[in-house]
This record gives sequence, structure tokens and C-alpha cells, in this order.
Amino acid sequence: MACLSSSRLCARVQDKLMCQFGHKLRKQTVFVKLKPPGPSPLRTFGKTCQTVTTCGPTCGAGSLPVPGGLVRRFASNLQSTSTGSLPDYGTQIIDPYRLLEDDLNGIYEDIRSELERNTNQSELNTIATYYFDGQGKALRPMVAILMARAVNYHVYGENSALLPSQRQVAMISEMIHSASLIHDDVIDQSDFRRGKPSVNVLWNHKKVAMAGDFILAVASMMIARLRSDDVTLVLSQVVTDLVQGEFMQLGSKETENERFAHYLTKTYRKTASLIANSVKAVALLSGADESTCELAFQYGRNLGLAFQLVDDLLDFVSSAQAMGKPTAADLKLGLATAPVLFACEKYPELNPMIMRRFQESGDVEKAFELVHKSRGLEQTRFLARKHGAEAARLAADLADSPYQKGLVLTTDLVLNRIK
Amino acid sequence: MSFSRLCHLRCAVRCDLVKVSSSSAFIAKLGGPCAKELSTNSTQRGSVAQHHSKPDWNRAVSEAEKIVGYPTSFLSLRWILSDEIANVALHLRKLVGSNHPLLKTAKNLIYNGKNNMQAWGLIVLLVSKAAGHSPKIPDMEQDKAAGVLHSQRALAEVTEMIRTSHLVHKGLVNMNARQRASITEEPDDMMFGNKIALLSGDYLLANSCSELANLRNQELVELMSSAVRDLAEAEFMGERDDQNNPLPSRPLSKEEREEPTEWDCILEPLPMRGVLGTAAREWAARHVLAAGALLGKSCSAALKLAGHDAHMQTQGYLFGCHLALAWQAYLDLEAFSGPEPSSFSLVGAPLAFTLDARPHLYSYIEAGRASVHHVDYHALYKAVLEGDGLEQTKRVQHEHIARARAQLRSLPPGDARTALANILVAMHQDHY
Repeated sequence: MACLSSSRLCARVQDKLMCQFGHKLRKQTVFVKLKPPGPSPLRTFGKTCQTVTTCGPTCGAGSLPVPGGLVRRFASNLQSTSTGSLPDYGTQIIDPYRLLEDDLNGIYEDIRSELERNTNQSELNTIATYYFDGQGKALRPMVAILMARAVNYHVYGENSALLPSQRQVAMISEMIHSASLIHDDVIDQSDFRRGKPSVNVLWNHKKVAMAGDFILAVASMMIARLRSDDVTLVLSQVVTDLVQGEFMQLGSKETENERFAHYLTKTYRKTASLIANSVKAVALLSGADESTCELAFQYGRNLGLAFQLVDDLLDFVSSAQAMGKPTAADLKLGLATAPVLFACEKYPELNPMIMRRFQESGDVEKAFELVHKSRGLEQTRFLARKHGAEAARLAADLADSPYQKGLVLTTDLVLNRIK
Repeated sequence: MSFSRLCHLRCAVRCDLVKVSSSSAFIAKLGGPCAKELSTNSTQRGSVAQHHSKPDWNRAVSEAEKIVGYPTSFLSLRWILSDEIANVALHLRKLVGSNHPLLKTAKNLIYNGKNNMQAWGLIVLLVSKAAGHSPKIPDMEQDKAAGVLHSQRALAEVTEMIRTSHLVHKGLVNMNARQRASITEEPDDMMFGNKIALLSGDYLLANSCSELANLRNQELVELMSSAVRDLAEAEFMGERDDQNNPLPSRPLSKEEREEPTEWDCILEPLPMRGVLGTAAREWAARHVLAAGALLGKSCSAALKLAGHDAHMQTQGYLFGCHLALAWQAYLDLEAFSGPEPSSFSLVGAPLAFTLDARPHLYSYIEAGRASVHHVDYHALYKAVLEGDGLEQTKRVQHEHIARARAQLRSLPPGDARTALANILVAMHQDHY
């Protein structure tokens, strides 16, 4: 087994994973089930929402006050580097952040007021709301809402609209993400995040840990208020995955093969699980059938993996200024990500460095150099593209709508982002 | 007594999506944070001790454990076999020899003394058994031998996991630049200890999330999540030293004190108006957040699982909350019962009452702004013994015991109820 190169293994893992859902899904879509009984977004909210959708983007840009150009900033945050690579979808395609301007508008304010409502301790409120300042990319809420609208459209047609509960899930996904960021900051002792000092620099560590617990508790109260057993189960899985991913990051595997599988599982648990399960949750809330929920899940899973692979790539190529956090940070933390694991194939001298977690002086610099000399970055990009393409392929199975096109476009945004 | 007012109050949960059904809307107009009417009447003392004239603590607990099956400690086989816990154990070994508080926390969890609240899961199970359950619940879901439901056992485990996770997160060491100089230990050890502590706590919290989700009862998830929120809030209340150890607030004069707001709905955060600077209220609010809320909400949730009505659930909440406060008062008194300790809790009830009576003593507390170790404990110890702080604490304790006992009386008699009563009696004994 040891003679298998990591790239081959990875391609195999890749194929296996993709085949699993790829074929299964195709088969399942043949037997598409009837709409399940229960409240449908169309029937319940159809009328009110119709007006909302029609007044869409124009309204948001014109009459509604958009605080600080919130959404425009989002769009520019995810600007693509290579504009030429964007496929031509026709004229109706617009930036998903623009498409969802009204839905995303005020989402950080809503999270902040939800947190504020749940505490009478001002310092706790300050720490808990610190990362909800609107400077983030809001990728998770965006994808959740996009999927919600795409699935609603898929199941109920043109007059469907976003359910309030689906928007709640979008908020919850960002809250769980931030709670984990806050705890990560304490664990990794990072100094900067999103271009400002991280929480653990400004406040004492016990309070920061408690603030993370607090955000999770509030998010979990919000989940409970949706009163859906399935959604609660799906979202509680996210929290378990996040912690298990963090535990996996503590250890490393001896052989190359194990190491790559370990890395992929860890990446799923730490990043992709949150996106996958939150889009699954919005699909469940829309009352979609099982195969559509599974499609949503797999879309989120592939998008999440692509996102993290690009993140690991950017850690080697992007400037500290663009990222809002220091680069080569993963190496400094002793973590071997995809580029290093691929580079290992050509430069086996990386192996002992990985095992000692780049602890010896000069390790980080040497590894950084070797990664750039190898094809590691290229291979990482290739793997990211494969996941992105798979996500786009899955999204194409949903009924044709602006939101469905937005899902396809999002995979490009994720792949071509510069920060 | 005020608990007759406790039922039939409305909970106004603001929620755009879901109407909270009235069963989740029980009220905590608990005597604790709004301890306005502390009656001195505790004449029922000892009358419940049917089986033992003077049961001691350990006996009360170990007999109680027999009643509901096996001990609920989460260090059961299932836990030892978990990958993550094995991982933690491995890493903990690296910390041996360092001074990280995580080791102490771990030790306290394993050596089951009366100083910690290992017995919380046990209380939840005893309450479950004492109250019984609705006849509609299918046999499959019952643990017939122990007389509780499987779901209640899972809940008891969740209670202990939440509690433990909180203790572990509380045991982090602050490593900020300001304090780095004062930490003599290897910073790497401390950093690593923090990492493991944070992860272990998160692991327990994540597990309680999924255990709760598996119970498929969203009102229950909401209630227990609000208990996690209360624990987090507790760590922010009042003044803190650099290691986040709590300090009492400066006592306010009669004119400065505000009327407190009642805690109408326990799903909302505890109101802080008129709490800080008022000895009895500050003490009660602090320990309701740090302990009472979790135990109370767990007891209430156990009754919800058994299909009891909102009224019973409220009583369950009150029982747990009063029991936790009585327990806290007992622990506070313990520091003053033996030989003079080198240090003691600065937010204990005896000191709170002493400061209230003699506000000029607060200058001793101010010496501990940077670190509680700078406080002159000897002077404060003497001041407590000179005043009536201990008597007042005992009065508060007896009051909480009496209230907890009053809630017990509404349950049908049985071995579980007797065991709970014995635990109350064991707490009631004087330290001297």
C-alpha cells in the first residue's frame, strides 16, 4: 500500500466518494418521489413573498437603506482572480450576493440582536458579537439561503419564497462558524483574524471560551425554536464533527496513504460538514424529498471541500494583507495541508518534518520552499476544481432558476477567490 | 409562602416563527435572585428523616445511587472506550508535572468527594423516579428495574456533561501578554493544557448537543441550551481578577439599591437590575446562574420527559434550584467550620453578609483586583467570625432547604423521595 502515491490515492478516494453519490443520485432522481405532505412554502408564504421577490434587487439598491454597502462589500470580497475562467451563463446571471441582497441584508444585525437579547452581561455581549461586524464573507449564510431558494423553486416552482425558518438556519450556520472560530483562536493563539486583533488578544481566555459556549448555546436555542427534530439532529451533527475534526488535527498519521485520508476526513469535519448540513437543513425545512436533501448535502460537502482546499492553497500564495491573517499559518501551527502532502511525493524529505510538526528551526521555511518547487499547489488546485465541478454538476440537477444558477456560480467564486 | 404564586404565569418568549406552547412556559419566580422575603421559619427541620436520625452525606448519596440503578458518573465504560477521551487521557499525561488546573479538575472528577457536584445526574434520576411517569409511555422506553425512563437517564448524563464541560472550560489559564510575566510555569505547558481543556470541554458540549437532539423534544433542547447560556453568563457577573476569579461587588447603601426585576421566564436571561451590591441577591443570582439554573432546568426537563404538566415542571425547577443554592450555602459554610483555611471563596455567603454589614471591609477585596491571592484572608476570616455572617448564611440555607422540601412534599412517597429528603437532611447538619 505504501507504494501508492498520494496523488493516486487521492484520486481514488476522490473517485470513490464521487461515484458513491454521483451514481446513486442519478439513479435516485429517476424515482423522484412525490412532494411530501406538510406545510409548503408556496402555500403558506406564497402570497406575501411574491411581492418580496418581485421587488428584489432594484428595491434593495434604491429605496431601502443598505447599511454601509454591506452586500456590495460581500460581492467584492469574493471577487475572482481570473475573470476569463467564468463560464458564460447568459445575461440573467448575477453575483449570488447581489441576487440575495434582500435576504442577506441585516443578517449580522439580526445575529447581534439575537445574542444581545440573550445576555444581561455587557462584556459577554461585546465578546460574543465581536466577529459579527459584517466584515466576514458570510459565505455560509449566502450558500444556505441560495440553496433554500433553489430548493423551494425546485419543489414549488416560481412562486416559492424563502421561509423565515430557512433564514434562521442561515444565521445559525454563521453563529456556529463564529463560535468555532473563537475557540480556534484560543487554541491556535492567533493574533489576527479578518484584519483585526483576534478575541484571545483582547480578552482573557476563560471569558473567550465562555463566549464561544454562549454563542453555541444561543444558536442551539434558535435551532430548538424551529421545532423540527430532523433539523436539530442534522445541525447537532455539525457540532460533533467540528470537535472531532479539531481532535484529528492534534494527531497525525504515519504513512502517506493514511495521512491523506486523515486530511480529507478532517477537512470534511472541520469545514465541509457545516456547509453540507446547513444546506441539508434548509432543504429539509422546505419539505423536499429525500433525494433532493441528499443532493443539497452533497453539494454543500463538495463546495466545502473545495473551499477548504483553496484556503489551504491561499495560505501558501496569498499575501498576509489580502487574507487578513498571517500566511504560512498552517505550517507554523504544525499542520500539513494538501499542498504539503502532495509535495511529499516529490520531496520525501518533507516526511520527517511533517512527523515533527515543523517544530525545528528552519522547517517552516524549508517546507514552504519545497511546496513552491513541487507541483503541490497545482495538484491542490486540481483537486479543489474536481470538487467544485462535482458541486456544480449536482446543482445542475435542480430545477432551472436564478438561484440554481447562483449555486453553480458560487462554485466558481469559491474556486477563484483571492482571499 | 410565595410559591403558590409560581404557577400559571405566562412566559413571553419573543419568537417570530414558532409559538411556544404553554407547557414550556413555566416560570421561575424563584426566591433566589429576588430573595426579598426570607422567612426565618424552618421548624420542619428533621421531620422528613424517616429512616435515619442522622444520615451522613456519603451514606445518603450511596443509598440514593442504589435506588436508581448504577451511578451516573460519565466515566462509564462507554466513555473510556471513546476515541477522543483516550486521546485526551494520552495528552493529559504530558501535563503531569505541570501546574495546569486541568489536572486538578480531572482529579476532582474521578475522586468523588462531596465538594463537587458529581451527584447532579443522581439528583435528576431521583427526581425522575420520585415523580413517576405518565402511563401512556410505552414499556420499551422504560428502565423498569430502576424506575426511570431511558430518556431521563440520557438527560442525567447530559446534565453531568454540561456541568463538567463548564468546569473544564473554567479551568483555562489566562495567557494574555499582561499576565505572561506572572506565570512561572513553562508557557508551552500552559498553552497545551489550555488547548486540551478547551477541546475536552467542547467535546462534552458537542456530545450533549447530539444526546439532546436524539431525545427529539425541541422544548427540552431549548430549555437545556438556555442552561448552558446561564453557565456562560455566570462567568461574566460582577468584578473579576486577572484570572477571572470572581470578587464581590462593593456593597451599596440602602438608598442606592434598586428594586430587582423578577425573572419571569427562565428561557430569558436572568435580569441584573438591583442585583449587584446587594449581598443576598448578588449571592443568589451568582449561584443560580452558575449552578441552580442547570440543576433546576434538568429536573424540570426530566419531568417534561415523563409527561408531567407545566405545573409539575415548575416545581421540579424550583426543587433543583433551591437544592443547588442550599448546597452552595453548605459549601460556603464548610470553609468556616474547621481550622482556618489559607483561602476561601470571596463570593461565599458568609463574607457577602459580613461586607454588607461592614462596608469598609471592602478595601480588603480591592487588594485582590489583580489576583485573589493578594487578599488578606486572615483579616476577612476574623471579620466573618466576629459578625453574624455565618448565622445569616445558615438562615438562608435553611430557607432553601425548607423550600426544596416543600416541593418534595407534592411528590408521592417512595424510596426515591426518601433518598432526596435524606440528602437534604445531610446538608442540614451543622458543621461544628
